[in-house]
Amino acid sequence: MSKSGPLLKIEGVRLKFGLREVLKGVDLSVEAGEVVVLIGASGSGKTSLLRCINLLNMPNAGRITIGGEAIYDASPAARDGNAVPARTVNRIRSQTGMVFQQFNLFPHMTALENVMEGPVTVKKANVETTRKEALDLLAQMGLQDHGGKYPRQLSGGQQQRVAIARACAMHPQVMLFDEPTSALDPELVGEVMKAMVDLARSGMTMVIVTHELGFAFEIADRVIFLDHGTIAEDGPPKDVLLRPTHPRLKSFVGRFHETADLLRPFLEGG
Amino acid sequence: MFDISVIQQNWPLFWNGLLVTLFYSVISIAAGLVIGLFIGLIQLTGSRALSLVGRVYVEIFRNIPLLVILLWIYYAFPIFAGLAVTKFWAGFAGLSLYAGAFYAEILRAGVQSIDKGQSDASTALGMTYGQRMRRVILPQAFRRMIPPLAGQSIIQIKNTTLMSMITVPDLLYQASYVSSFTYRPMEVYTMVGVMFLALLVPLTFLSRKLETISERVK
Repeated sequence: MSKSGPLLKIEGVRLKFGLREVLKGVDLSVEAGEVVVLIGASGSGKTSLLRCINLLNMPNAGRITIGGEAIYDASPAARDGNAVPARTVNRIRSQTGMVFQQFNLFPHMTALENVMEGPVTVKKANVETTRKEALDLLAQMGLQDHGGKYPRQLSGGQQQRVAIARACAMHPQVMLFDEPTSALDPELVGEVMKAMVDLARSGMTMVIVTHELGFAFEIADRVIFLDHGTIAEDGPPKDVLLRPTHPRLKSFVGRFHETADLLRPFLEGG
Repeated sequence: MFDISVIQQNWPLFWNGLLVTLFYSVISIAAGLVIGLFIGLIQLTGSRALSLVGRVYVEIFRNIPLLVILLWIYYAFPIFAGLAVTKFWAGFAGLSLYAGAFYAEILRAGVQSIDKGQSDASTALGMTYGQRMRRVILPQAFRRMIPPLAGQSIIQIKNTTLMSMITVPDLLYQASYVSSFTYRPMEVYTMVGVMFLALLVPLTFLSRKLETISERVK
């Protein structure tokens, strides 16, 4: 299987909830190490698209490959339609890490146990090696003193950083973030964003759904604007966020422009 | 007026009755939990057919009075099936099948009360259905299920008295026997009430304790 070409490839993905089609044939390629931010109004399909990448939402049509391997294939060329076996799905799924809006830590496990759970249960990894690695990951997230605490004893920002460590512990090829800062108190947003920027700088491939346009500007290599289940604009953050062409994107980034106008001289000067 | 000697003279009968009551309580709660676990879980697999089987089971045994179930198994079922059914099997089966329906509902409700995000997060890690249940969903659900399970088990212990109608020699059966030859129903049935209180008040207290503990770990 070829490892060249994009790390993540989405072709013609459609998703229906009942009669409502929320994704109307989305094509998207993400290169290794690239950070892609999905923006769009609520109901535009950005979270649905993210959840299709690890099949938490099962698409109705299309093809998704990660590292050259099909995780979902309903293209006419596929012999068995979408019948990628469940075992393969679980294996490929474990190559994507996901961070949720509501953290979704396991409340009956400590922070350390949360981080160890994936490798130990899914990959049957050695417990001692995993523990060392998990402690390292927690330390990278600035949580070295919190490994023994239960989620309810941690702040929202700390919980979300544990959740990032939990996803990283599986050594995923792609990290998916579903509005990771939306449920946080404003003063806790910064610490989670910093952890994500550090992760991006370490070369992690990331797909992020967020409403924080300033953050998108800072972290993204590419910004994608989804509108009614299709990709309406796709490009570098400077173009998409500062010089939008699509009329709905213009109104969407309007509020952001108030701050962006102030920043523009600095950005274009440097 | 209240002649305690009636109790004292027939104490062995009361004692035997109490042991029989405890015996049926323990085995029918154990078997009921196994049935409940099975019937509860098949309703959660996502298979329509299995779910329907579970649903039908629960509705049958939850909506027929236990006394009717016991009488039917002991007197009617042998005629249908052409089989002899002993008192033991009729009592044990009736109580267990009935309890199983209620335990199944407690399990189903407990599992369904767990936030969808827990299943999302464990699925995203690549866990199989079995791993998700075992490692993430059931450990959390069981904690929430402790108070209703304890409550249902206390009801189950009281329900064993219905077996006296199919002549299983439990505490109530022995008491009515003693009453029939001593003509002292006041002493005899008061004693039965006192014995149940002595048995169940501590258990109720214990289940309250468990409730506060499970609140704390939630």
